[in-house]
Amino acid sequence: MLLLVQYTILFACILSLVALGGCFSEHSGVINLGLEGIMVMGAMGGALTMKYLPSDTSALLIVVFTIAVSMAIGMVYSLLLGVAAIHFKADQTLIGTAMNILGASLATVIVKSINTLSNPDDHSSAVQYIEEKKAFIVNIGDFEFSWFMAIAVVALVASYIVLYKTKLGLRLMACGEHPQAADSVGINVYKMRWIGVLISGALGGLGGICYITTGVSEWKFEYGVAGFGFLALAVMIFGKWKPQNIALAAILFGFFRALSNVYFGFDFLVNLNIPSGVYNMLPYVISLIVLAFTSKKSRAPKAEGIPYDKGAR
Amino acid sequence: MEQTYAIEMLNITKRFPGIIANDNISLQLKKGEIHALLGENGAGKSTLMSVLFGLYQPEEGTIKKDGKEVKINNPNDANDLGIGMVHQHFKLVECFSVLDNIILGVEPNKAGFLQKSEARKKVMELSDRYNLQIDPDALIEDITVGMQQRTEILKMLYRDNEILIFDEPTAVLTPQEIKELMQIMRNLAAEGKSILFISHKLAEIMEVADRCSVLRKGKYVGTVETANTTMEELSALMVGRNVSFHVDKKESTPGKEILSIENMTVASKLHKNNAVRNVSLKVRAGEIVCIAGIDGNGQTEFVHGLTGLEPLAGGKITLCGEDITKATIRQRSLKGMSHIPEDRHKHGLVLDYTLEDNLVLQRYFEPEFTDKAGFLKRKNIREYAEKLIGEFDVRSGQGPSTIVRSMSGGNQQKAIIARELDKDPELLVAVQPTRGLDVGAIEFIHKQLIAQRDAGKAVLLVSLELDEVMDVPDRILVMYEGEIVGEFDPKKTTQEELGLYMSGAKRM
Amino acid sequence: MKKILKNSGVQSFLASLVCIILGMLIGYIVLLIIEPSGAGEAIVAVAKNFLGYSKKSMQMKYLGNTLTKTAPLLMCSLSIIFAYKVGLFNIGAAGQYVIGSCACLYGALVLHLSWIPCMLLAAVAGGIFGAVTGILKAYCNVNEVISGIMLNWIGLYFTNMVLVQAKDAASAYTYALKSGGKAAILPSLGLKSVFGKNQYVGIAIPLAILFALIVWVVLEKTKLGYELKATGFNKHAAKYCGMAEKRNIILSLVCSGILAGLAGSFMYQTDMEQWQVTIASVPAMGFNGIAAAFLGGLNPIGAIFSSFFIQHITDGGSHVDLNVYCAQISELISALIIYLCGFVGFMKYVMDSRLKKAEEKAMENSNTEASDKQVPDAETNEKGGNK
Repeated sequence: MLLLVQYTILFACILSLVALGGCFSEHSGVINLGLEGIMVMGAMGGALTMKYLPSDTSALLIVVFTIAVSMAIGMVYSLLLGVAAIHFKADQTLIGTAMNILGASLATVIVKSINTLSNPDDHSSAVQYIEEKKAFIVNIGDFEFSWFMAIAVVALVASYIVLYKTKLGLRLMACGEHPQAADSVGINVYKMRWIGVLISGALGGLGGICYITTGVSEWKFEYGVAGFGFLALAVMIFGKWKPQNIALAAILFGFFRALSNVYFGFDFLVNLNIPSGVYNMLPYVISLIVLAFTSKKSRAPKAEGIPYDKGAR
Repeated sequence: MEQTYAIEMLNITKRFPGIIANDNISLQLKKGEIHALLGENGAGKSTLMSVLFGLYQPEEGTIKKDGKEVKINNPNDANDLGIGMVHQHFKLVECFSVLDNIILGVEPNKAGFLQKSEARKKVMELSDRYNLQIDPDALIEDITVGMQQRTEILKMLYRDNEILIFDEPTAVLTPQEIKELMQIMRNLAAEGKSILFISHKLAEIMEVADRCSVLRKGKYVGTVETANTTMEELSALMVGRNVSFHVDKKESTPGKEILSIENMTVASKLHKNNAVRNVSLKVRAGEIVCIAGIDGNGQTEFVHGLTGLEPLAGGKITLCGEDITKATIRQRSLKGMSHIPEDRHKHGLVLDYTLEDNLVLQRYFEPEFTDKAGFLKRKNIREYAEKLIGEFDVRSGQGPSTIVRSMSGGNQQKAIIARELDKDPELLVAVQPTRGLDVGAIEFIHKQLIAQRDAGKAVLLVSLELDEVMDVPDRILVMYEGEIVGEFDPKKTTQEELGLYMSGAKRM
Repeated sequence: MKKILKNSGVQSFLASLVCIILGMLIGYIVLLIIEPSGAGEAIVAVAKNFLGYSKKSMQMKYLGNTLTKTAPLLMCSLSIIFAYKVGLFNIGAAGQYVIGSCACLYGALVLHLSWIPCMLLAAVAGGIFGAVTGILKAYCNVNEVISGIMLNWIGLYFTNMVLVQAKDAASAYTYALKSGGKAAILPSLGLKSVFGKNQYVGIAIPLAILFALIVWVVLEKTKLGYELKATGFNKHAAKYCGMAEKRNIILSLVCSGILAGLAGSFMYQTDMEQWQVTIASVPAMGFNGIAAAFLGGLNPIGAIFSSFFIQHITDGGSHVDLNVYCAQISELISALIIYLCGFVGFMKYVMDSRLKKAEEKAMENSNTEASDKQVPDAETNEKGGNK
């Protein structure tokens, strides 16, 4: 039971972080379908950091460095979206899709090359971080507290404050709702959208490293992140683009995702004799159903996905 | 002694490929005056304002503020010079509060955190001083158009702007709201603000403006003192000839009943109330019935309910004796209903299709254009398109194969009218058919509507333009908040009387 | 010359060419970073693919392999194109391909059906997945990209679960058709001997090309295509003139799903590969279909060539020196190409404005009057920009 709670919280944290990423980008007016790819890249950055940090690095430094690198790589990778969507008016769906495929293949190529170069017989795309991973975990009784839980809570609160209490949030949301209005009062729409995309990249990268350190101690980058970026988008839609609702939506989705990880710990579930595939499918099925009921009157930012052209008023 | 002007635009010339939008135009705005800028659509008013706001850089000419030459490279420069504008289409974020919209861009803050209480104090002071009533916490999407406009005015005042530009501010207001606005403008001028009032409504200009500058086809025609001129003179300056304000037409001879609507009710998409409530009306063959009203009083929803774009919440529609309440759009069309839609870009045209493909949009499935196997008969489509293009004088770059997006607004509208009229409908529903068109195109369209009437068709016109409402129809119905509140004979009523009904001050 | 450049087909071709060249160039740079000494050789290996073999018969044999995989890829890209014309981004093609594969393999290995019924099963399965996306889009306003992705994963786990019945306990792969369902193998039509006795080459290749032609004809010449494209360009106008907008959305996604489902059949009924029930990521075929569709300028005929090219470099990836580099380099290149395809609109815009400038100059020189020039409706252009 405790395990289920722990995993639910962990998955909810990942989903919240990434959904908040999507939230910032969409509030600024750019649809970020490339979150999946951003997660993979961020995860790769973090995993390699853990691998290459000297083994005597203190736990705190490991946490700080790993997170910093993941976020930085996520941001760098989101430049691809920013350039194409903000300045070249590219189809944001296409760009997002390309970034997802590119993220998975680029991470695989990089990790494989690193592995092969250090050991010519090693053709795997896996990175191990058994020891380093422990830095993120504090045992409280039987409950494994992960620093990511604290980070996710901070991110949720911070996002709420930034969006609703600061100048930046007000301007950011104006650009996603009515960029012409924002422009007419002297707000630089392009700059605001860049800020939205970059925050999105940072949070996506953070979500990525959080994802691959959950439950496992090595990651094969060929697998990407199993549609988690898109689950996060479903969380964002279900959460109506608001941090407080996103948190709740993330817990719901996180629960079903956790179930597929730990269902064999529950005798009555095992006795039902349902194939594991069903549990694997569950989060996706649930999100389809939830979307079917909540998308009808969605309150997406009005100008999202529409390239802003200063000339056309 | 030389007069100093609040702002001067001297000998401005702005060219675009193939066209001179502003040809040596000068405009001088005195301190504390209300100065009207008059011109038809396409006369160059908006280009001139874009130059003033730094959106375009003119090829020639200078701009002076208080006698000193200034350079305006972008809207921020204009803001810094104290120039503010209420745009025709408000630049307000709908899901933000009034207060948030006012402070957007000049937010009072400490280390990035908003300090709204300060802002609220200043806004309420301004609101009291100029008698601009607003609710600072209401969301824009929930308040009336009038209050939205007051929000826009407060936006300028909050920024301490000295030069206030109003771009066609009365188009969306009721006559009473217009009166209030006029008073507000006078108050502002009395407090020393300089006001530029862009309009093509002569009566309003005569009432409120001190002077009026006229543009025509990109050229500066002249500036007159309104005290020394007449509406007729202004109008002649604007169009370059004396236009008859009246459309020539014979008496109507109504025949049998074509359309009958009983107790139509349509739900609103914006709020929980019904947008159209219990509307009943009849249209007979050989008459033009006009639904008049201020924008946003349920006309759009009424038309959508009538043409099948939205389902009815209640009521019954009969066309030529047949109940079509539940009929699909296609069935209604086949039974003889034609529809010139309000928004030609959203509904009326597939802009990325060719002209010929748009001309068969209502008929492509007929045996003339599609064979039994489902293949399009391209040759027939081409011939049909050429016929319509000739008959209705639709001008375009490459004839039937022109992509409609590249055509001018007037010709796009002509294409829609050609398509809808050639269907030979029993009932023509024409919604703001002349919106955004120049005088020539308007005349053409009015003639077509009357020709339909004279050919024994029923015409239902929905219009926001009072001139059109007075001139074209045989009967006028006024719609206010989703209800028909009055019926008039255009020959026996006045614009003033209609205005009272349109604004809800009176009802039958 | 200028006239040729103005043609939008030619522009698409040039833009695609730029995407390919840039994509390969960046791939080359990545190889250089990994290990400079063999990079040139590696990128040539990717570009050469089967041409890397010296013997003619071997070349033909490996060309056969590439063509065999091109057929399903082409179907996937047709699936993307068909939906895109209606304004829908069918990223769910990947899942429709998976579920199609599942259906035909189930038909072949468990029900022991012959090849046509298996193919039909695949089409139906793909169509059902397409219908789900379509219904969710039309009636519940669910973004087709997100529902498509969810269905991709649902399809994957479902397939893994179902095909457990069609394999040996010791192996992760389903039985080969030649041992478990011979009747389901697609006929070779004698193509086998043409391609150096390549047993996998068969009817799928001409069928896929036939489908490309059919899709082109449907979109360009028929009433259905006229309606679908009108819905894609402006769904409000389509509704206004009485087209059944919701039906069209569902119909196009069903057709799209059928095409992708058939792709699964065209892949697995050649018996070239077997399904691996432990696979943990959605096969790349559907995503490569996106690359092929956009690289082919969203034109069904263009897709024939672009699909071949994408498959060509994908296979080429296995020819690099695997002790230094990895085969995913070609995936990387096709992802780059998709990304670059996002800039095609911009490239065409540049070409157009260059041509216009040149024309204007020519006009000024010949002193012709541009008096009756059409001034496009300002409002039209604004809305266009917002689309």
